[in-house]
Order: sequence, then C-alpha cells, then structure tokens
Amino acid sequence: MIVCLAVVGHENNPLYIQSFTESDDALKLHHIVHCSLDVIDERVNNPKKSSPAINEAFLGLLYPTENYKVYGYLTNTKVKFILVTTDLDIRDADVRNFFRKFHAAYVDAVSNPFHIPGKKITSRTFGERVSSIVKPFGLNSAS
Amino acid sequence: MEDFPEELRTPPVALSCLIGCPDVHPLITAHLHSQQPPINAIALPDFSKISMIPPKKPSRDPSEPPAGIIKRDWFSKHRTRIPAVVAAIFSSRDVSGDPVHWLQVCTDLDKLKASIRGRNIKLVVLVVTKWNDKDNTSEERILALRKRAEIDSKNLIIFVPDHEPELQQCLSRQVPLIVPLSKFGLWTVLGELANTYYRDEGRRVRSRLEKKNYTSMELHVRYCFKVAIYAEFRRDWLEALKLYEDAYHALREMVGTSTRMPPIQRLVEIKAVAEQLHFKMSTLLQHGGKVLEAITWFRQRTANYRKLVGAPEVIFLHWEWLSRQYMVFAQLLETSSPNALHVPSTDPVAEEKPTEWEFHPAYYYQLAASYLKEKNTCLEFALSMSIDVGAFDGSAESVVASAYLGQYSRLLEHEDAFITQPLTDMEYVHYALAEGKRFKDSFEIIALLKKSFEAYSSSKAERTAAYCGLQMAREYFSLNDFSNAKQIFDSVANLYRREGWLLSLWEVLGYLRECSKGTSSAKDFIEYSLEMASLPETTGSSESFSKDCGPAEPATSSQREKIHKEAFEVARGESELNSDEQNSAFKVKSDYPIYLEIDLISPLRVTLLALVAFHQPMVKPGGQSLITISLRSQLPINVEIDQLEVQFNQSECNFIITNGQKPQISSIDIVQPGHRVETAPDLVLATNKWLRLTYDIKSDLSGKLECIYVIARIGPNFTICCRAESPALMNDSPLWKFENRLETIPIKDPGLALSGQKAIQVEEPEPQVDLILDSSGPALVGESFILPVTVASRGHAVHSGELKINLVDTRGGGLLSPRGEESFSSDNIHVELVDISCDAPQDKSGAPSDKIQKIQPSFGLISVPSLDMGESWSCKLKIKWNHPKPIMLYVSLGYLPQSDDPSLQKVHVHKSLQIEGKIAVAISHRYMLPFRQDPLLLSKLKSVSETDQTPYLALNEKTLLIISVKNSSEVPLRLLSMSIETEEKSVACTVQPQQEEFREAIVNMPGEEFKKVFTIIPKVNSTKLKIGTVSLRWERDSNDTSSQVTKYRLPDVNVELPLLAVTVECPPHAFLGNPFLYSVKILNQTEMLQEIKCSISDSQSFVLSGPHSDTMLVLPRSAQVLTYMLVPLGLGSLQLPRVTVVSMRYSAGLQPSTASLLVFVYPTKPHVDLKPPGDA
Repeated sequence: MIVCLAVVGHENNPLYIQSFTESDDALKLHHIVHCSLDVIDERVNNPKKSSPAINEAFLGLLYPTENYKVYGYLTNTKVKFILVTTDLDIRDADVRNFFRKFHAAYVDAVSNPFHIPGKKITSRTFGERVSSIVKPFGLNSAS
Repeated sequence: MEDFPEELRTPPVALSCLIGCPDVHPLITAHLHSQQPPINAIALPDFSKISMIPPKKPSRDPSEPPAGIIKRDWFSKHRTRIPAVVAAIFSSRDVSGDPVHWLQVCTDLDKLKASIRGRNIKLVVLVVTKWNDKDNTSEERILALRKRAEIDSKNLIIFVPDHEPELQQCLSRQVPLIVPLSKFGLWTVLGELANTYYRDEGRRVRSRLEKKNYTSMELHVRYCFKVAIYAEFRRDWLEALKLYEDAYHALREMVGTSTRMPPIQRLVEIKAVAEQLHFKMSTLLQHGGKVLEAITWFRQRTANYRKLVGAPEVIFLHWEWLSRQYMVFAQLLETSSPNALHVPSTDPVAEEKPTEWEFHPAYYYQLAASYLKEKNTCLEFALSMSIDVGAFDGSAESVVASAYLGQYSRLLEHEDAFITQPLTDMEYVHYALAEGKRFKDSFEIIALLKKSFEAYSSSKAERTAAYCGLQMAREYFSLNDFSNAKQIFDSVANLYRREGWLLSLWEVLGYLRECSKGTSSAKDFIEYSLEMASLPETTGSSESFSKDCGPAEPATSSQREKIHKEAFEVARGESELNSDEQNSAFKVKSDYPIYLEIDLISPLRVTLLALVAFHQPMVKPGGQSLITISLRSQLPINVEIDQLEVQFNQSECNFIITNGQKPQISSIDIVQPGHRVETAPDLVLATNKWLRLTYDIKSDLSGKLECIYVIARIGPNFTICCRAESPALMNDSPLWKFENRLETIPIKDPGLALSGQKAIQVEEPEPQVDLILDSSGPALVGESFILPVTVASRGHAVHSGELKINLVDTRGGGLLSPRGEESFSSDNIHVELVDISCDAPQDKSGAPSDKIQKIQPSFGLISVPSLDMGESWSCKLKIKWNHPKPIMLYVSLGYLPQSDDPSLQKVHVHKSLQIEGKIAVAISHRYMLPFRQDPLLLSKLKSVSETDQTPYLALNEKTLLIISVKNSSEVPLRLLSMSIETEEKSVACTVQPQQEEFREAIVNMPGEEFKKVFTIIPKVNSTKLKIGTVSLRWERDSNDTSSQVTKYRLPDVNVELPLLAVTVECPPHAFLGNPFLYSVKILNQTEMLQEIKCSISDSQSFVLSGPHSDTMLVLPRSAQVLTYMLVPLGLGSLQLPRVTVVSMRYSAGLQPSTASLLVFVYPTKPHVDLKPPGDA
C-alpha cells in the first residue's frame, strides 16, 4: 500500500505531499520524504558509471526504512517524485509503471493555465486522480 | 560491542599448556605469542598443578532434557583453561641423571598422561639441555622417554635455551639439528597438535550432528555452535560461518516449538544466543571483506527477528535487544569499512542490492537510536502499568545470571551454600522492569544520534542529519535541557524554513516555543508564537490534523489563532508566561519591555512586513514628496497597532502615526516634542492585506533621504521594529513563495509597486550665480593664454566662495609628458596653469584674511570675495601650452548663499571649456649652392644611403640658406624679427645677415609662407658643424599681447673641402648670330695632378667652337679653363650644349642640371629708343 506521495520542487520544497494512512503519522512520513531528498541529491550528483541508463527518470529504491520503502523519480524539469510504500516485496517494474502514470497526472495538473509554475499544487482534480492511481496499486501488488 | 566478552570479540587463539621447568616458560610463551598465528600458553610450574586442567565431566544422561542452549562460560573455558596440547618439560639432567630422577620423570609423565587422556589432549615432551652439555644427553633415555610418553619422534624436542642459533631452530625451524629428534620447531609442533585436537573435537561433535544423535533443538544449536568454534580455532572461517548459520536457523525454528522454559524467559534466552551468533557471523563476514553479504544478511535476520516482539509486558526488552543489534552492527561496519568496502561479492545476492545509506554506519546508529527510543517509550508504559515494582525491589537483587547464556535464576543462600532456583515469568518481568528503571537511556540515545548526526553532516546529507538532530533535540527536551534543545531545534528550523517544509517546521517551532517557556524568555516565546501563527496553512486535511506534532498540537487554523492570542496576551502584559517545570512566572511590564526587531532575513518577516516607497525618485530641497508605507501581516487574526513611527536617516523627517481609534493612548509622550504626529483613521492589519498609508514629506537637506525603520507599538511595552524595505527589491519569504494565495500589490500604483524605492535623492538648491568663461579661440603654443573668468551674481549673494580650476587632458592622458613626471620643470609639462590674476578686490572690510590661492600646474584654487546680489567679479587665468594639446578646463564655484548659516550646504556651479593648443608658426629651411658652381665633395659621393640626410657644405664656399616661415594658426600673425644665433662664435662659419629687424612688421596671414635668405660660409672643416638657431619673434596681429619668440634649431651640417670645383660661366642672354663665350673653369684644390676628362655634346641651336672631347691635366692648386665660342641659331630660351666633366682619379663626373644651362637668345640687341615715337 502506498502511504505517502510527494512532489518536491527545485528548492527541495514540497509542492504536493499527501499521505494515505488512517493513522497519525503524516509528520513521520514528511520526515522520511525529506530525508530521502539527500539520497536523491547524492544519486543525482554522483551517478554510478555502471548504471545502465543515466537518463532514466526512475531513481529506484532510495532506501529501505524498517517499515517502509522509499522510491524516487526525477522528471526532466528536475521535479522530484517520492513514493513511500509499506509493501516490502514490491517489484521495480510496478513502481516504474506507477510513476509513469503519476507523471502524466502531474503534467496535466501543471499544464492547467490557472496553475502558476513553482507554486504548490492544490488542484482537487489532481488529488482525485492521484488517489485513483494509488488505490489499484496496492491491490495489484498484493495479488 | 564492548558488552560482549573478550573471547567473542577477538578471533580465537589456540591454547597450550607448559608444565615443569618454570625458568624457560617466559621464553617459550613470548615466542609462541610472537608467531602468526599465535598460540596462548598456560604456564604450570610443576607437575603437581596438573589438576588445574579441568577433568572430563561425566557424560550427560541422554534422556534428561538440556537445561539451556549454550553454557555461558563454555567458550571462555576453551579459550583460557582447556589446552589443546600440553608440553611436558624435563631437564636433561633429570632425564639422563641418576635413576631417582629418572623415576620421578616417569611418574610425572604417567600422571600427566592419565589426566589428559579423558579430554584427548595432545602431548609434547621437551628436554631442556645446556649447549655445552648437549652431547651428554643419553640417547637411550630419550628413546625410553618417547616410548613412555607414547609420542612420535617429532613430538620430542631437545631444547637448548642458552645457544641462540640452536634455540631459534628449536623454537621454529624445521631443519634437522645435530640431534635428529628435534626435527620440528616447537611452535610448528604445538600448532599442528592443537589443530589436530580441535579437528578431532569438532569431528566428534559433528558426528553427533550428522547422526542426528540429539534429542532436542537446544542440543542441535549447541553442537553447531561448538563445531563452529572449533573451526574458528583452526581458522577455518568458511566452515565456522556455515555452522553458525546452521545454528542460527535451528535457533529460529526453536522459537515456535520449544516448551522448555516459561515463554518470556525462553524468548529472552533465544535472543541472547541469537545475538552471539549474529555477532560472530557479522564479524566473520565483515572482517572477511564481505560487507555486501554482511549487510544483506543483517537485513534479513533483523527482519526475521523484528516480529518476535514477545509478551506485551516486556516489549521494551525486545526493542532494547534490537537497538543493540543495530548499534553493534554499526560499530562493526565502522571498524571494517575503510579497508574493504567494495569487495565484489561472489554469490549472487538474491535480495535487492543495499542502497547507499546502508553502507554508512550512521544509518544503523540512527536506527539503533530510534529503537532505543521505542524501548524507552515501552518501558515507561510498562512501568506505569505495573503497580508493585517497588515492592519487588529487594528480591530483585538476588536474581543473577545463571550458567546458561540468556538465563536468569534466583540465588538463595541455604545453609552456607548457594542454591539457584529458576524464576517464574512473573518474577522475571519484575526483575527486568527493576533493571530497566535503573538506567536512563536518553543519554545513550543522544550519543547514538550524535554519532549519526555527525556522520551524516560530514557526508553532506544535511536533511537526514537534521532529522537526527531533531530527534536528539526532542530527547534533550524530554530531559528538560532546554538550552541544548533550543540550539539544535533552531538549526533544524532553519533548514525547514529554507525549504518550506511547513508541517515539520510547525513541529519544531512548537518545541521551541515550549523551550522558551522553559527558559522564561518572553521575547523568544513571542517570536516563535508569532512565527507559528503566521505560517501558511498546510494543504491536505490529513496533514493538518496529524496529532504527532509534539507540543505544537495539530496545525489547524484554530490552533494558530490560539497561539496568536496567547502571544499577544503575553506581549500586552495581560497574562504571564509560566513554565510548568520551574514554576516561575514572567510578565511583560514596563521594567521588561519587549522589543522585536525584524530585518530582511528574519523569519518574522511574514508576521510584519513594512514596505516604504517614495513616489518620486528626486525632490527639490524643501519640496514635498509623497511617501507610502505599506504593512502586511500573515497573522490569522487582525492586529491593531497603537502607534507607528517612521524613522529616516535624517531624523528631522521622522514622524509618528497614531491610531485614530485609540486617541487616549498616551505612548506619544515617548516622542520628543516638535516631532510631527499624524493620525490615521485606523491601524488594523488584516491577514494578507496591505495597510497603505500615504503622507507627504519634506526635506531641506540635500543628499539621500532614506527610510530605515518602521516601528509598531502595540500596548505599552511591546514594540516591533521593522526594517523598511523597498517594494522594488521585495522578495517573498520561502515559506509563502510556494503558496497559492491572493497576490496583491503593496501600493495602488502598480508601477510604483514594482519600482518604488525607500530612498529619495534631495537635490541641491538651484544656483543663482553665473560663471562665465571667455575664450578667444585656440591658444598658441608658447604664449601665455589669458582666459577671463567672471562670477556674476544673479539672485544669490556669494559668501565664502571658492573657485576651483582643473585642467584635464581631453584624451585622458596626463598633462605631463611621459619622460619626467617627477620634476615639474616646464619642459615636460604640456600645459600648465601659470597664474591667476584677479581684480584688486574692492575692499570694503579690509583685506580678506582668509584669501586662499593655490596654484599647481593642473589645479588652482582661489577664494572669491563676498559679493552682494547683482555684483560680479572676475579673474584671469594664465595658461601656458608647451606642447600642442587640447585640454578641458573645468571651473567650479562653490559658495554659500547666506553668510550667517554655516550649517547650510554649499551651492555649486560648474562650467567647462575645451581649449585647443596649437603651434603658431612652422619654420623650415633649405640650403642652396650658388648658380652654376659645383664643388666635388667626396663624402657626399660616398654617402649613398637615404637615411643620412645631413647636408654637405663646401668649406670656404658660399652657401645660401633659405628659411621659410609658415603660419599654421588660424589668426594673422605679425613677424617682428628673425635672426640666426650661431652657437660657436663666428670662427666656425659666417652667417649673413646675423639679425634682421623688419622695418615694418610683416603680417603673415594663416597659411601664408614667408621666406628669408641668409648666406653661410663655413670656415671650419668639420663633420658636425652646428650652424645655430633661428629665432623668430612674432605676435598676434589682433590684440596687444606681448610678442613671443619661436626658436628653430638648424640641423648640423657636414663641412668638407671640395677637391675640385667646376664653375660654368656664360652670359645671361645672347643675340641671334652673335657669338659669345661659354667657359668651364675647373679648380683643383688638391696637392695632386688631376686628370680631367671633359666632353661637350652637340646642340642644334648653337654652332660651337672648342675642344669637343679632351683629356687634360690640372696642376695642383691651379685652375684650368675650357673656353668655347658659341653662336646661337635659334631664338628664345635655349639649352646650352651640355658639358660633362669627369675626374679620373675620383671616378666622379659632373653633369650640370638642365636648369642651370639655359640661356635666352634675343633676335637682335634690344634697341631702346628713348625718344618719343613722334620725333622720328
């Protein structure tokens, strides 16, 4: 199950952060997302030479915390997507696929003429669309 | 890691035992230690101490279930007490001596054999002998000894301690010695036997494993552990690792199945054993360089065990255990990581690869800390749940660790003997709680987090470091260590502010607010409260209601309002700031006013932002300008300001705006009287709305007028001082930058909102004095150029006026020539200010004592006398040009319009003028020879190079010098006289005329040329004769300026005696048909006979008589004349026949130029009839 999704802007500021848990650990998830920015920084600044696709947006597993896994994605406009999930046995392909969908939703949201680039995303439609992507994700990997 | 016993932390070392001959023990032990791998040795001085080696226990009854998994001291027993091999040492004297001694040796040996047989310990016999005594050792006895000991020959060593090479060989070498018995060195023999021993022991236990000859899981684990330890003794790491893993798996299976002990203690025991296994495996893997495997394996097994929480009462034990696992792993990683971080792994790792952080010990420290924190929480909970912990305290002391690892039992004193008694789970829980209560974990948590924090900071992971810092600060906070907590919270808050993480910032600020309460700092409390209250709303409903925000409570708008109200209540002095812990109250009173300062980088900019904009960029002194002050606050509730003070850099402009709604506020009396007070209808700041106030402002002082502070007073003792900002330079705080909110402009005029400045330039007052520079065209080089400057007052009187004059090169270069900038001689200053002459001041009040006059080549300063309105004053600048150069003349006048007010600023008038400096006359010269006369100058013939332009003059011959003067200026000049001043007195050459004063001055119009002829006769034969300098006196034709002299130095000439001189003579004109003489005179001035070849060409215009072509000799110092008779046949200007004279000696020929060979032929002799024509 995806517990948190975040879009992080150029100054490492959250543009959209949404948790999907019933319990009150939103703040903890904020911290996890925030700390994982360090890993993204390191990975982006020191790309491994052996890494097969340097230009790939999907950054892979950032780090496993004990109960969560954190995945990252970097768009070509250097906006970061961060996903926190409780599924400990998840396949990269699923996450990749999820990010692709989420990226599309994000692109649509920021293409809105009423959206000011660089500001937080507050569109309700975007929120609904995101939850519609998030829900089946948990089911797929569970099956 | 230090909690583990020594034998676990260090790699196992084989143990041997030395018995007998104690004097050689130190030698042997030192040697065994120094070898690689080392061997430990127990030294027993004589054979009576054999009992120190523990005898074999009776074998366990297989039907009886084991009491535990691993005995606590089993490993240390093998490390320190049970040797693998015993070395019996006998002296050779005893062996080969008298039978009594020999008998003793045999008994000792038998006893030893008996005692070690049970444990299967290996035996080595050493015979110690002296070097000079070594041949006395009886071969037979040695053989008998070996038989008796039942050992191989290689295990009997003759030991010679007093002979160095022998000793070395005995100890280590394998080369046979004189004595073939000691074939192998002692260390090799002992090592080999120890290895055999451990292998045999391992094999023995292993066979039980293979035959599944055990009744319980406990034994399985125990056997695996033992075999692994034996393998480690043999340094067979792979085998050890494999068996540890087996043990680990068996142990894991045991969790669900074993029923031997009460459940809580059973789990505790299993975990204790698991911990040792983990430690061993991690050490083996990491020291083997397999960091990747170690990490992967660690991740797997912690995942396995994390779920084994255990009974709810003792959950804290589980977290403590887990935390210890992480800490130990981190420590291991730290010690091993530098040398072997990137060892390629041979096994494919099934699990996904560890991520970057998992290679950092900091990651594990952080997790260890978080589990310890978890433990702390659980422990507190457990303590609060259990009622009678205190009652149990006494009996808890009697609980001790029992013989088996991870087991505890009660020690009872029973008739002088101690009996251990198993505990019930209930009792154990009590014991554990009591133990837990004794320790404070907070410091340990902080220490772990600090390690992690430092490691992350050094690897530039500032966000993760900040998170560690946050946890650390929380821990300090829980310990009521507010100053430490505040320091860390502050730095963490900075990061969150910068990156706009609202919820995290909210939490941190909440803690900081509590810290300031704890330290009774009202200022901090208000600052943090105001910042919290003015944070943007967090988007998304679930976040704002997150309840784990610590003391800040959920970030809802109602909470914001509550915080806002609390802050203002404290600030107004309506309520006290009381910290719960210290019970001390702090109240804002007039003794303790609160003064907040908000600058450009303060986080409180969102609380109050003051923008100030002048409506004009510039204003005349005394003129009015509009100023708009815009205030904005993001506080959730409206704030009413009692009074605003606006402060400028010119304090006379400061003014105060009071709130029209609160006229009774008496805080005005802080203000000095005479200051301007304005009243605004209301001063209420609404959330995110600009409060705009526009006033006019007047400044009399010229210069910059800048608004510096806007100070808001709320209540009697609360002041917020806000640094004024320009709207043009305003940038939003990072927290609000990303928010979607209504953007309004601070000033109604959008242009001003984008470009408004908080400063205005106040101009100088308009000067009412004219400064006039009169220029009479370009200046001429050499003359003293007079430039009149007039100061004429129009509307101002002039007081303490000063006139500054600057000469500046228009092309930017200096006025000095590059050669000598040090010396100010007139030669190398191109243009200089020579003098300033003023009108005699019309002294009304005596001579002005403060008259300044300062003149430098390019700068002048002169004081201007006081002038009343309408008066004028003038002076003349005398500027001299030494070289032609255009200059810029700047004249500036500074004066005071009123004499009595020295505080006023001076008014300045500036004027500038470009003046060209030009050369007046250009003088050139030319030498000419007399007509039809050519001297032969040898050196002139030789000098063929073009560069040598020095003219050659003939000695004692007359030469003409033509001086031409061209007027290159733009004004007519009058030439007064011209002269040639010879430098070397008349001996060298004579010049005619020496000087000529023109009777009537010659007016030389611009562009005209004037020529004057001089004659020169050089008298000295010299190659560099200085002729002299031409001096021309001239003056401007227009005015009565004094005359100037322009000098022109004639270049040096070569003077030489002509060897031959050819003079052509003929009449200036001829008549048709009338013959005339045409002669060529050749003068030989040498002492030699000169052969001259001479020829004449025919001409159609003349009939010629005389030698056509001839060679003749001219005698020394004499002349020869060739004479021709010519009859002209044509009319007009005719070319005479050309004569060519060639000197054979000098190979020089003369061909007179065509111009010099012209003659005019008339038809007849002109007949001039003087009579009038009518007379004929």
